[in-house]
Amino acid sequence: MAEKKSINKLKKQENLIGYIFASPWLIGIIFLGGFPILASLYISFTNYDMVSAPTWIGLKNYTILFTNDSIFWKSLWNTFYHVMIAIPLGLLVGIILALLLNNKVKGMGVYRTLFYLPNVVSIVAMTLLWMWLFQPSFGIINEILDPIYKLFDMEPLRWYQAASSAKMTLILMGLWSAGGSMVIYLAQMQDIPAILYESADIDGANWFQKTFKITLPLMTPSIFFNFIMGIIGGFQVFTIAYIMTGGGPARSTYYYAYYLFDKMMTDNAMGMASAMAWILLVLVLIITAFALRLNKRVVYLGEEG
Amino acid sequence: MKKLVLMFVLSFSVLAFASCGGTDDGKTEIVFWHMSPVGSESYSGMKTIINDFNDSQELYKVKGVGFSFWDYWDKANVAIASRDAPNIGLSTIDDVVSRAQSGVLYNISELMEVDTSGENIIDLTEFRQSQMDFSTYEGDLFAMPFTATTRALYVNLDVFAELGLDESDIPTTWSELETIAKMIDVEDDGDIQRLGFDPTYGDATYHGWLWQTGLDFFDEDLNPTLNTQGHIDVLNWIVDFNTDFTRSQLTSFGEANQLLGLNPFAAERVGMIVGNDGLYQTIINSGADFNYTVAPIPVPDDDGIRVSWGSGFSLEMYDNGNDSEAEKAGSYAFYKYLLSEDVQLQLGEVNGWIMAHESAMDTYVVDRPIMQKLLIEVDYAIDKVYVPYAPSWHGNDWQPYYTQILDGDLTPEQGLLQARNNYIQKQENFDSVN
Repeated sequence: MAEKKSINKLKKQENLIGYIFASPWLIGIIFLGGFPILASLYISFTNYDMVSAPTWIGLKNYTILFTNDSIFWKSLWNTFYHVMIAIPLGLLVGIILALLLNNKVKGMGVYRTLFYLPNVVSIVAMTLLWMWLFQPSFGIINEILDPIYKLFDMEPLRWYQAASSAKMTLILMGLWSAGGSMVIYLAQMQDIPAILYESADIDGANWFQKTFKITLPLMTPSIFFNFIMGIIGGFQVFTIAYIMTGGGPARSTYYYAYYLFDKMMTDNAMGMASAMAWILLVLVLIITAFALRLNKRVVYLGEEG
Repeated sequence: MKKLVLMFVLSFSVLAFASCGGTDDGKTEIVFWHMSPVGSESYSGMKTIINDFNDSQELYKVKGVGFSFWDYWDKANVAIASRDAPNIGLSTIDDVVSRAQSGVLYNISELMEVDTSGENIIDLTEFRQSQMDFSTYEGDLFAMPFTATTRALYVNLDVFAELGLDESDIPTTWSELETIAKMIDVEDDGDIQRLGFDPTYGDATYHGWLWQTGLDFFDEDLNPTLNTQGHIDVLNWIVDFNTDFTRSQLTSFGEANQLLGLNPFAAERVGMIVGNDGLYQTIINSGADFNYTVAPIPVPDDDGIRVSWGSGFSLEMYDNGNDSEAEKAGSYAFYKYLLSEDVQLQLGEVNGWIMAHESAMDTYVVDRPIMQKLLIEVDYAIDKVYVPYAPSWHGNDWQPYYTQILDGDLTPEQGLLQARNNYIQKQENFDSVN
């Protein structure tokens, strides 16, 4: 009996020590993570200008956003457009890069590093660099395309300066950092057993057959991972538009997160901004949940049985 | 085990209390936020001003904290919102009333009334009434003007001389401005090499041009107007000013300057530009050696009003709800010190700003001819109205429509109508929750 008591005491002590060691993280998650999240939920039901005390207005912020705020819908559409095009395109470019770099060519390490390099460049520096490149009058991209413009007798594209092309310009610019997902694809490609390719070779399969029948199916877990992360990140697109276009021209790159930021910082409407944040959270949750339901259908999880 | 828990609690307590304020010599600490961070040109000057005050004090000690202009606003807004603001700080004068309404500012009028110290008494006659009106709420001052800004027409006299013109030819009306601007324009193979003037460049704004015709964005009750022929006419004048060039050419010309970090006037790429007093410092810092002057911004030919958009920083004392009487008294002592003539003169020298104290500035500009002219323009400057439902009415809310109109994607009529509808929607939404 005494021995059992002493073991229980020891267990309690060990638990306590465990909690103490975990306390920096626990405090962090409760106060720096959990509290602001719950506070923003409360604030989303209030009118709060960040100076006066918040006043409870129920669902009014949500009602206004859905029924009487044209810019809310505009920014939501811009964001959907970005997600719908940038995510599949990013996946495609990442996969193509990974396939190209999954070869035993001399200096492959250097190529892989070069393609990954944009991911370690500051997004601000990257955006300013691309502003130069895409500059309609003296940017190098239009200089290169000049013969094509002349051939088809067309006006040079105004890229981020025209409402019709600004969103696409930002999407193209974002592809520069596709090397981030490429690294994940490459890692998974390295895990594919060589025996599968050897068997395919014996069966006389060509490169395309091996790619589409072996490589890509076995890469689906990492493709799916990048897809989910891309959706979550895509709905939060903000920085490139903030720096490059200021949300313009004609609010064509005024993304949801940008509008949320402005609601808080320029309109001093923290309650409305919080409501927008929660709408975004629910939206991303729904889309992610839907995407996760596809998991079993599109992701190869190994042979059953 | 107990020792371990005790050590943890003690360590946590030490860390928690380490951030609490207090000076070693028992003086009450006053925190002052300014815009002269470590490493900035004005840092040592600001430090001297603060140290001079501290040396004269037995009870208080001011701790100056400098942030760059770009960082300052977010930090100040968050600090005020969380009732953790410094004792004294700078802010924008046009929205003092909103902070006064929220109860985060001390009533300066009340402090002045009970001030029997006899030191650095604030002389209200030294400050412009137009600025003090912006910091008045329910008849009392809740802040004082700290700096003043204005806009004026900067003119490159070397370019004028090249064309056989001199200072007497500086345009005073819109039509004269257009005539002389065209003389200055230089185009080469489709690229603008030099631009005479553009009403969208520099610090020129649509509302600034509107004011010269007696119009504004909002009526006295802050309802959006923007739907009169006068509004359309002013926009048409802006759009048609440089029809010799495409908007793409003008945008590229402006962007090239921006990407190169050039001020188009300081780089002598624009003959005339509307700039604020900060441009004077920019020209000095850029090492430009051309002759230039400043003049009033040209006004409409018929019944034009001499007015420009000017603003300024307000000096505010923040009420965090937990300040001791000593803190409040010390803050006010330093507050008055910053508004005294000598210190305002020093601050002008340190920052290159036009300070709000008129006599101090009269002394400051004696050997600065350009500043003398800018100071005259301050008297013609008015600030933009603060619109609670659209605090950025001239920025985020207006710019998308303005850009589309300039680009020719919307006619002035369409753009103004859409902008007005947006303001109305914002007003409805604001009113429904306030």
